[in-house]
Amino acid sequence: MLSRDAEGIYWMSRYMERAGHVARLVLEQLQAVQDRPLGAIERGWQRIYTAMNRSPGGGELIAGGEDVDEMLLDAFTLVDDLAFEPSNPNALMPCLAQARENARQVRSVISHEMWACLNVAFLEMRGVRLQDIWTGQPQDFFRDAASITTTFGGIADATMYRDEVWHFFLLGRSIERAQRHLALLDAHIGLFPTGERHWVFDWGSLLRVCEARGAFRRVHSNEYPPETAVDFLVADPAHSGSIAHALATVAAACSVIGGERQDEPARRVRRRVGRAQGLIAYDWPTRDAYDDAATRDMLKVLLQACLGFHTDLEQAYFRYAVLDLSAGQSR
Amino acid sequence: MAQDGHTDDLFSDYEIEPEFPDEMFRSDGEPHPQCRELWSALRAMPADQIVTMQEHAERSFMRDGITFAVYGDDGAQERIIPIDFLPRILSARDWHQLETGLAQRVKALNMFLVDVYGAARILDDGVIPVDMVLGCPQYRVQMRGIGLPHGIHVSVCGTDIIRDTDGFKVLEDNLRSPSGVSYMLANRQAVKTGLRDLFRRHSVRGIEHYTGMLRQTLADLAPRGNSDPCMVLLTPGIYNSAYYEHMFLAREMGIELVQGSDLLVHDGHVFMRTTGKLRQVDVIYRRIDDDFLDPLVFRPDSQLGVPGLFHAWRLGNVGIANAPGGGVADDKSVYRYVPDMIRYYLSEEPLLANVETYLCREPEHLDYVLDNLDALVVKMVGESGGYGMLIGPHATRAERDAYAAKVREDPANFIAQPTLALSRAPCLADGRAAPRHVDLRPFILQGRETRIVPGAFCRVALTPGSLVVNSSQGGGGKDLWVLDEPV
Repeated sequence: MLSRDAEGIYWMSRYMERAGHVARLVLEQLQAVQDRPLGAIERGWQRIYTAMNRSPGGGELIAGGEDVDEMLLDAFTLVDDLAFEPSNPNALMPCLAQARENARQVRSVISHEMWACLNVAFLEMRGVRLQDIWTGQPQDFFRDAASITTTFGGIADATMYRDEVWHFFLLGRSIERAQRHLALLDAHIGLFPTGERHWVFDWGSLLRVCEARGAFRRVHSNEYPPETAVDFLVADPAHSGSIAHALATVAAACSVIGGERQDEPARRVRRRVGRAQGLIAYDWPTRDAYDDAATRDMLKVLLQACLGFHTDLEQAYFRYAVLDLSAGQSR
Repeated sequence: MAQDGHTDDLFSDYEIEPEFPDEMFRSDGEPHPQCRELWSALRAMPADQIVTMQEHAERSFMRDGITFAVYGDDGAQERIIPIDFLPRILSARDWHQLETGLAQRVKALNMFLVDVYGAARILDDGVIPVDMVLGCPQYRVQMRGIGLPHGIHVSVCGTDIIRDTDGFKVLEDNLRSPSGVSYMLANRQAVKTGLRDLFRRHSVRGIEHYTGMLRQTLADLAPRGNSDPCMVLLTPGIYNSAYYEHMFLAREMGIELVQGSDLLVHDGHVFMRTTGKLRQVDVIYRRIDDDFLDPLVFRPDSQLGVPGLFHAWRLGNVGIANAPGGGVADDKSVYRYVPDMIRYYLSEEPLLANVETYLCREPEHLDYVLDNLDALVVKMVGESGGYGMLIGPHATRAERDAYAAKVREDPANFIAQPTLALSRAPCLADGRAAPRHVDLRPFILQGRETRIVPGAFCRVALTPGSLVVNSSQGGGGKDLWVLDEPV
């Protein structure tokens, strides 16, 4: 498979995953704005921006002393920043635009159905401005956007041939999902420590952003005990949004791409994935001995591993240096 | 026009003007025999039904991204090429004339390129002015002395054909990167779906095998007769106006769509960078201009090409379609001599006529052109896409004067042609059929044999009265039905 196509597929997949994630984040926050106490709303915004490692509009989100926090920006400004701001690489529309640009690059190798889904969604949404939807039901816009990204994934699953193209698609989606969920979980625990008594809403909301609430209720409880929720999101291999599941997908893909290459750059990717899987398998804090600080440390280590996957993939498969032309050529 | 009792149908306002041949109607208002059934069926169809089909097709083009890029002050915009849903019909006899004439023409053009980069007999014999050829900006001195397998310089040719009161004429040969074939196929798909009953009732010859034929033609260029060559389509990238077509052709042929950065040359061979290993490339269908093909040979600032590609090609280790340097044969001045090429190389009379062309480089031609600007179409030799030309009858006095000054400044850069009585065909306008000028661009493939699909990208000047059919200038396209009937 052409390296540039692999990179295009990978980024298309990442941007679609990111678009869906931010759409769900905003949707949750818009729900919170309607019926949550002011403090919870503020922490909801903080959760988003901390996870994104971003300050809206170049300024601070929260001002105030130890006792009194005060929101400096209104919801309209923040949603605009999260949905439409061109300079925000995590904003919904720039993500969709980037996904489409990458899809255009690789149109000859993705299915027609995937392209049509993405293209139609983009064309329908590109002219929307927040002021057009704000006075109505802005939630609908973000619900639709989230739905489109899920549909796109389903179409890919249903129409893609299971060759390298498919595996690079999975790599992009899994790495992006793991990164987003790890960062969000870390931010969430920082703002809503598990030892404190919280509204069920906060943890239910987290699970919903991670597309895990329904499964969690079925497997565990509808009261969303924080430790169990964290464990579910990180270590349950049966939950398709968990970190463990993402790592397993990355590991499986890495064993196939590049014709099972055995050179050092390719082995480096597999080693890093294996180590991350080992961390969850052997070192993950259990519910019986739960500790927020240790959990957050572990989340940070896993997040670094995900960032490392990207660098490794780039060096091994996308932009590798051609050092020895006599080796590895094929007719 | 003649009607038989229908007072309010698609054609009730249709006007025929004797100076313009009509593709559907004779001068007496009766439809041509091959168009009678289509005309009759369209009249019986509610106009809004056809309009709805056309709108549906255009929406599907947008959805599927069948677009081209137009560059303006505010950057590139993606647009569809508007489709006109009323098909143009060509009889088998007409098509046979075109097909044989085009094959003859492309054969002669290839022989010209072999000659002009080889022994240059045609120049020695004074058939074409030496300075016109050697001074042509598209003449590539790097090509001299290079012999190509089977003498194929031009593998893919798109020739623009018009019909006036005298019959078919060649307006232009496009020998470098002719585009439009994807729109030909997209228009056919849309019209075939929308007008499926009508389509079935006509015996329309298929064109869907074009990409298969293109693949065969490219495979003919594989070095050393490799029967399973690795072929790629080289595109400038997604910002190129024809990117959709590049993607479409690569996908349909099942070959990789590559950019210059995906390829590298080592030891005289071309490789592409894959996720597994470097893979040797045998044939490149390039859709980038000569200038950008290889920075070591042509423009050194090219970011689109592949350093060393020309060398690998000259060694015979990779095939390139079309070969560099073909632009000298589709130069607007050299065009005038194509009929002479046919006589010179093939000892045959041209089966397709040229449009009369005045070369402003010739003093007597220049005088004539300047004296008759109000009746002529004047074009810049190096321009294409409908840019930089003056349509005398449609220009104001001030525009003609300004253009005359430019012609006087650099006469060799201009040619002129009579304002053509381009044929017209019915097109949908405000829910009615209205006459619009049309041309057509068939695609000729030259490998070990000549291959031509019975169809063309039929271009339409959608603005009433306009003669400019280029998509970049507001032109559209329509489906061309070549009938399968005894000649």
